[in-house]
Amino acid sequence: MNYIEKLRTSEDMVTPGMSACQGCCGELVLRRILQIAGKNTIVCVPPGCMSGAGVVGWDYQTGMKIPVHIPLLTNTASFLSGVSQMYQRKGRGDVNMIAVAGDGATADGGFQSLSGAAERNEKMLYVCYDNEGYMNTGFQRSSTTTKGSRTSTTPIGEAINGKQQPSKYVSLIMSMHALQYCATASPSHMQDMVAKIERGLSESKKGFAFIHVLAPCPTGWSFEPDQSIQIAKKAVASNMFPLWEKYNGNYYITVENKKPIPVKEFLQSMGKFKSLTDADIAQIQQEADTKYETLKKLASE
Amino acid sequence: MSKKVHISPLANEGMYILDTASWRTERPVINKEKCIECGLCLTYCPVNAIIFDEDKYKITYNYCKGCGICAVECPKKAIDMTPEGGEK
Repeated sequence: MNYIEKLRTSEDMVTPGMSACQGCCGELVLRRILQIAGKNTIVCVPPGCMSGAGVVGWDYQTGMKIPVHIPLLTNTASFLSGVSQMYQRKGRGDVNMIAVAGDGATADGGFQSLSGAAERNEKMLYVCYDNEGYMNTGFQRSSTTTKGSRTSTTPIGEAINGKQQPSKYVSLIMSMHALQYCATASPSHMQDMVAKIERGLSESKKGFAFIHVLAPCPTGWSFEPDQSIQIAKKAVASNMFPLWEKYNGNYYITVENKKPIPVKEFLQSMGKFKSLTDADIAQIQQEADTKYETLKKLASE
Repeated sequence: MSKKVHISPLANEGMYILDTASWRTERPVINKEKCIECGLCLTYCPVNAIIFDEDKYKITYNYCKGCGICAVECPKKAIDMTPEGGEK
């Protein structure tokens, strides 16, 4: 069965009408993950875009066909550790334990509980949908925001020109834990993403699995809603978001970029980078190249 | 009658469903002559508004937000965005 057949026959676990914006890749990622995981699943969605959009329910109504919890921003991984431990003790190791968190709940506030759960190798799948900011409260900067990006807390003006610091590469940091499985995925490469989710789910029965998914945000990043997938494609093609995975201690680059496009093409396709100067673009290009070189070295060992 | 025990809590007033179809300003329409039934529109639809029924891909309009991703990603450009209004 190929991935399209799998997606068209599997049941959607999320409420059909949720208030995510038009063209939201976070919604796309959430639906695909739970379509693959199926009914035998417990989901944890910390505060963020997806829980704000109503998937955790509201006023004694639920937003999913499966049990869903809303932990705090900081304790998603430790909360799910407890749920996972209880299910193991009850002899229900077959249940999928999934956390779907934004980049704020993964790389900023929730990082210590995430790192702790990865170190203890708790049995769960932690998925981070990375829209590079706190989008549901109006696009404040997060640690995964790309350098030079306009956000509401790092505006463009005389004092500063967008975010001043380079982004934190959270998936590589996570892969340095002795975890079971770690990968990056992009919704534009759906076949690759579905394969990684399936692998992550099967590995999560043995230990901690982490998947970092890019989720372009039309509202925050300022581009037309219909361009979401095109932007994700450009991010992968320009090596801003390389696709790789790590299992059994080895790194593998899953989508090889023989001829990467310049990052300028990716940066100029959206509004949040409109104030970048040529020097800034050259610096971002260099960072992307360094990132890819590091990954290539890790994968060749 | 045995009491049902759930490990996880359940909501008791049904499902939260929002009428997202009212957001739409343009609706996607598949051109049946150009469509090659590849299924890429179904994989990329964030709302799962595209279904596979009787060996054909069909767009349902109950929750479609009209984002237009399907029209851009279609390799044969078989999906057109037509303005809302007029016939239902």
